[in-house]
Amino acid sequence: MNSLVALIIGIGVAALGYFLYAGYIERRIIKADSKRATPATLYMDGVDFIPTSKYVLFGYQFKSIAALGPVLGPIIALQWGWLPALLWIFFGTFFLGWVQDYASAIMGLRKEGQSFGALSYQLISPRARLILLCFLYFYLLLIVAAFGNVVATMMASAPAIPAAIIALMVLGILSGLMIYKGNMDLIIVTILMVVLSIFSVWLGTRFPITQGFLTWVIYALFFSYLGAVLPIWSYTQPINYISFYLVFIGIVGASLGILIGHPDFSAPAYTTFNISIGPLWPVLFVTIACGAISGWHSLVSSSGTARQLENEIDARPVAAGAMFLEMILALLALIFAASFPAFGDYLNKLKTAGPAGVFAEGMSNFLGYLRVPRTFGTAFAGAIFVILAITVMQLVVRFMRVATAELAGDRIPLFRNMHTGAIISLLLAFLLIHSGTWQYIWVLFGASNQLMAALAFLLISLWLLSEKKPFIFTFIPMVFMFVTTISALFLTSRSLLEKFYTLTEAQVPKGQTPGMARTGNLISALIGMFLIVAALLLLGDGLKVFFKPDKQNGEVKNV
Amino acid sequence: MSKEKKGSLKDIAKEFIYGMAAHDMTRYALKTRSSMEHLFILITMGDLLGVPILPPYYSLRLLPYIVPQISTWKRRMLREKDLTDALF
Repeated sequence: MNSLVALIIGIGVAALGYFLYAGYIERRIIKADSKRATPATLYMDGVDFIPTSKYVLFGYQFKSIAALGPVLGPIIALQWGWLPALLWIFFGTFFLGWVQDYASAIMGLRKEGQSFGALSYQLISPRARLILLCFLYFYLLLIVAAFGNVVATMMASAPAIPAAIIALMVLGILSGLMIYKGNMDLIIVTILMVVLSIFSVWLGTRFPITQGFLTWVIYALFFSYLGAVLPIWSYTQPINYISFYLVFIGIVGASLGILIGHPDFSAPAYTTFNISIGPLWPVLFVTIACGAISGWHSLVSSSGTARQLENEIDARPVAAGAMFLEMILALLALIFAASFPAFGDYLNKLKTAGPAGVFAEGMSNFLGYLRVPRTFGTAFAGAIFVILAITVMQLVVRFMRVATAELAGDRIPLFRNMHTGAIISLLLAFLLIHSGTWQYIWVLFGASNQLMAALAFLLISLWLLSEKKPFIFTFIPMVFMFVTTISALFLTSRSLLEKFYTLTEAQVPKGQTPGMARTGNLISALIGMFLIVAALLLLGDGLKVFFKPDKQNGEVKNV
Repeated sequence: MSKEKKGSLKDIAKEFIYGMAAHDMTRYALKTRSSMEHLFILITMGDLLGVPILPPYYSLRLLPYIVPQISTWKRRMLREKDLTDALF
């Protein structure tokens, strides 16, 4: 398969999905009406509910849903061959991904912009809201653990990258001060900081920093701690702002590289059914989450975007459009990995530097078509990868701090303290990173993401049922997601428990002791089992409502 | 006509980039401001929600300045919120 052909097919699938399927659902089932008032116009408060241009929202939605997920999943999934990954990205997005994102936004629009917690209470059961909150906590924890691990692996294996990441931290703080305290022109600050960031990448290639995995884990967690406790304008926001431009430049550059170079895939179409992380079904379907379907998107669509849409018919370009664009991003990641000079090189790189190393080298191959020097290109691509992960980590730890206060703050007042909440979250993440096996943590993360998607489909189906609309197009995806994800969780938890009981010296990952590895496997297995139980409880409550729709809890009172 | 089209394409690109790069920052700034304002209204007009904090004399003196925001303030204060509200 030629990389350019794959890209063209991807664009074709996106166009078909957007214009035909999404258009059909919008016109015939949802019956989007441009004259119906949206929550943004009804409850405009200038803060949460603000009517916003669809182009701004499209950018906002895309940025909120596209992080490391769509990039990492396809790179790992290439171990099964490019065809299964490609088919799941295309079919997953076509039949499930955009449906979930779009329908969540529409449900939010028609339900006065209520959050998923309130909707779970209203449409499923009172305990559904609490389960959802616990579920989200573990989901966030798994994000920090999975991303923290790839950040540390990448920074330890590529000494050219750390300088850029440390510089980004300093430049971010500086730009926050310049914008908010110095009232300096935003464009000048942006140009200056982006140029300095790129310069720091070059500097890193000249003055590499060599440290071990553990040092970079601690650094990544410290970076996130600052993000969780400092005022958002002074740290998290400006860092994410500058990072955006670096990622944007890298992705656009590599896409141009595909157009110019368009090499053939070196990876085979299909390798084998079973790989180290598990069998193709169900594990592939949780390994590639965001590039095909992701529960995270439903949260963005319902709580974030639905409160800002000024017109119902904007929901399709914003929610569905952003999902199809993310599909293209996942496809780019797959192309980076599949176009290595030889498939063996990809496997070696995956083994030695992890998926981050594969991404960096793959992207730098394509930047090479634009005459970007290889050493700089690899460092730049690696820095982009770390940035994608670390910027999400700092936000997630911030949310975990809030979640810790919300879950336990009433019983233990100490947990309301922001430092306590952040430190507890980071300690849990550290325990998982340090003792867990990364590949299993990634599968657990993907599975929790996909369970969130199954829950979103459950909520959407129940809402469609309550509106007496056809819901088969969300019900079948719901069944598929529940069955697949619970199976993946079951298999992964079983493997982890087996490892806990029968771990041999040879199986202990590098840098861990047998005791640590056992603890990590046990914790991961317990998280997996918790997710299964939580999902089954939610499914049980949801099915009760399906068969007795009058059992719904009625409206959550709004003033 | 073609100039107009070019202009609109440029605007679309600008809005898209703004949406990706800075829309979040704007929302956070608005949220921070509104939190301050709402705290102020809660202190001054708390009795509207059954939380009397300031003596009614001062509340009444401030009332004319706060009238335009009362409905959105009450809605925001009494709306059910959860973790996802903090996320986005």
